[in-house]
Amino acid sequence: MADTGRLKQVAVPALGVSPVTLLRIAIILGVLAVWEFLAHSGWLYRDVVPSLLAIGRDLLELLTSGNYYFNLGVTAGEVGTALLIGGSSGIAVGILLGANRFMSKAFESYLYYLGPTPKIIFFPIMIMYFGIGPESKVALGTLSCFFPVALSVAAGMRQIDKVLIRVGKSFRAGTWQMVVKIYLPAMRHPIINGIRLGLGVALIGTLLAETKLSNKGIGFLIINAYSTFDMPRMYAMLIVLFVLAIGANALVGRFGGLHSIKRN
Amino acid sequence: MTAAAVAKHSTARDSTPALVGFGSLVAFFLVMELLIQTGLVNRFIVPPPSEIIGSFQRLILEEDIFHRFLVTLGECLTAGVMLTVFGVTGGVLMHRYKLLQQACETWVAAMASAPLVLMYPLFLVIFGRNVWTIIMMGFIAALPPVILKTIEGISSTRKVLINVGRSFNLTPAQQFWKILFPASLPTIFVGLRLGLIFALINIVGTEFLINFGGLGQLINDLAERYDLAGTYAAICFVILVSVLFFMTLEKAERWLIPVG
Amino acid sequence: MAPAATPSSGTAILVADNITVRFETPEGAILAVDDVSFGVRPGEFLSVIGPSGCGKSTLFNVIGGLLSTHQGVVSVAGETITGPHKSIGMVFQEESTFPWRTVTDNVAFPLELIGMPKAKRVERARHFIGMVGLDGFENRFPGELSGGMRQRVSLARTLASEPKILLMDEPFAALDEQTRLLLGDKVLQIQQQLKQTTLLITHNITEAVQMSDRILVMTYRPGKVKRIVDIDLPRPRTSEIVSSESFGRYVAQIWSDLREEASRGMRADEKHALNEGAAS
Repeated sequence: MADTGRLKQVAVPALGVSPVTLLRIAIILGVLAVWEFLAHSGWLYRDVVPSLLAIGRDLLELLTSGNYYFNLGVTAGEVGTALLIGGSSGIAVGILLGANRFMSKAFESYLYYLGPTPKIIFFPIMIMYFGIGPESKVALGTLSCFFPVALSVAAGMRQIDKVLIRVGKSFRAGTWQMVVKIYLPAMRHPIINGIRLGLGVALIGTLLAETKLSNKGIGFLIINAYSTFDMPRMYAMLIVLFVLAIGANALVGRFGGLHSIKRN
Repeated sequence: MTAAAVAKHSTARDSTPALVGFGSLVAFFLVMELLIQTGLVNRFIVPPPSEIIGSFQRLILEEDIFHRFLVTLGECLTAGVMLTVFGVTGGVLMHRYKLLQQACETWVAAMASAPLVLMYPLFLVIFGRNVWTIIMMGFIAALPPVILKTIEGISSTRKVLINVGRSFNLTPAQQFWKILFPASLPTIFVGLRLGLIFALINIVGTEFLINFGGLGQLINDLAERYDLAGTYAAICFVILVSVLFFMTLEKAERWLIPVG
Repeated sequence: MAPAATPSSGTAILVADNITVRFETPEGAILAVDDVSFGVRPGEFLSVIGPSGCGKSTLFNVIGGLLSTHQGVVSVAGETITGPHKSIGMVFQEESTFPWRTVTDNVAFPLELIGMPKAKRVERARHFIGMVGLDGFENRFPGELSGGMRQRVSLARTLASEPKILLMDEPFAALDEQTRLLLGDKVLQIQQQLKQTTLLITHNITEAVQMSDRILVMTYRPGKVKRIVDIDLPRPRTSEIVSSESFGRYVAQIWSDLREEASRGMRADEKHALNEGAAS
């Protein structure tokens, strides 16, 4: 979705700063100004809109605290494990469904309709199975990430240009050679895209589970800031989290994009 | 082989996979039932399917699940109206003012990949523990795709249709209402369908997390009471509702746009 | 390899014997190819020509070993084929380069499959890239090339496997007319240089006459051998030959054969469309 808006940039004026950049700066400054004004107006509850200075101070404090990085590590580990388990099982199931018309007709519609359902409501069950530790968060992340990966890989497999398969066969490629040299590279875009979607929902699933019940991780820190009504800190944490999530998404996308330009 | 025989043969082949799929689902539940009844699986972790089905009656009579369903549906529809008004308008405005689109579209796209639902504690502070926190959460989390799809729809209008409009000397307003908007409706509907699904997911999730509102709260409530069979039944109900919601939206889209 | 392509010399290296192919469709069985037999001699350029719907592509898949639901036997140097044969190299009608491989890696693909060391296969690939005239594009990706260039990459890839028989299914069908003529020249030049035994499936009469030693004309559904025409034009040939008088005679002769089949095909299509219209 990130590259829907690739537009011709407006001609750069002599100053060297394009109107787009100017508008962006203006919007950011405008929002910040209104924000700061609201913070000092006293119209809203205390700290609902904290001053930028307070948020900045907390942001700095956050980024220099070892405790934050510990919790970040916990969450990253959970999301990573979820992506690994959910992603690899998703790819395996996707390949099975994509390769076999019968299996696809028998089971794919269940996955298709179960995909866009709320996953967080399974959390009570995950706690029953895996306890209140990181395992239940990993389980929820895995459950979330499995569906988009499986569906994307299955669709990608069916979309492989049939002539490429015929080329492989005409050169008498073996089964393993067909998988490694034709099927997987031909499916690289849907696989990357599935992992990108999977990463997004695994992140959401894991973090939401952490906010519900846990004693470590970024989700825990956020809900902790809420319960102590430490709004500047909560804003600081949300900002860092969003930057990280958007960055990770862009990174996976960039990785997938590079694939088609540089050699495999 | 006669044509009729071939036709018969092919329809028979068509329904087999569906039967196998459904059959394996039923078989799975039967095996679970068996494993639990024989004690191989702990019934205090996984209640037997028969017990889950049995507890539906309780959910209907004691927990008033249909009322909760209507509460959640109401929240979704409110968020849906807001998405339609603000999302589509936002997309149209961004398309109308090219500079705005160039400045902000990547931001909106970035927002689409951020875990916006994590802002629910923030919303809880701003709106309080009430239905507006839930609705706003559904609205905000689903807004980016609606805006992006609206822009995509309008800007992918075929050049020749725009030229047709020009050749009839349409005013900019006529050009928009008679050409651009109808041409982009299919894509806008796709955006709204995505948006409504995101809204439902986030609304039920927020209800569960903040323990307020309709179906999501019911699950939280039952889980906190250690009513295991009830929790499973409520989860099944929510899954059923979201699948039906999803199917209805797909049907509606196909019905509204006869030729995609 | 046989000496200069004198069509009458030598026994056939590729033999198709009583090939019949039926397809089951919802509207009943269709006889696509009906009892087709022919042989291709070493060094010979044989074209199979026919209207669309004559089962040409089916024949291509049978000879290539990609379709095995046929009756009859295809043999290479006396050996019956049971699947894709190592002596047959196929060039497909569709765009078939691997978009994720550079030109060099595309051409080296068949060498990679047989486990040739990297340095060696890159060197071999360069040789065939040069042969199709794509020097300087070794490290480009197919997405950066034109359709004609991509088709040359496919040709080089097949040549790199050094097949005894080159089997091509309308390799120029998706290209514009000018590109098609120039590429035809290139193929002709390579074929003459390598004395490459070639079987070309096509519906283009000028292309067939320009390149072939013999042309096999097929009938519209079911596809049968209608006639085999010897093309007695001097070699080496280039596209300039199309302006010669004898060339025109061959074209006219084959067109008169094909015209009847093509119009049968057109009538069948019209009838089919009418039936479809009435049914819906």
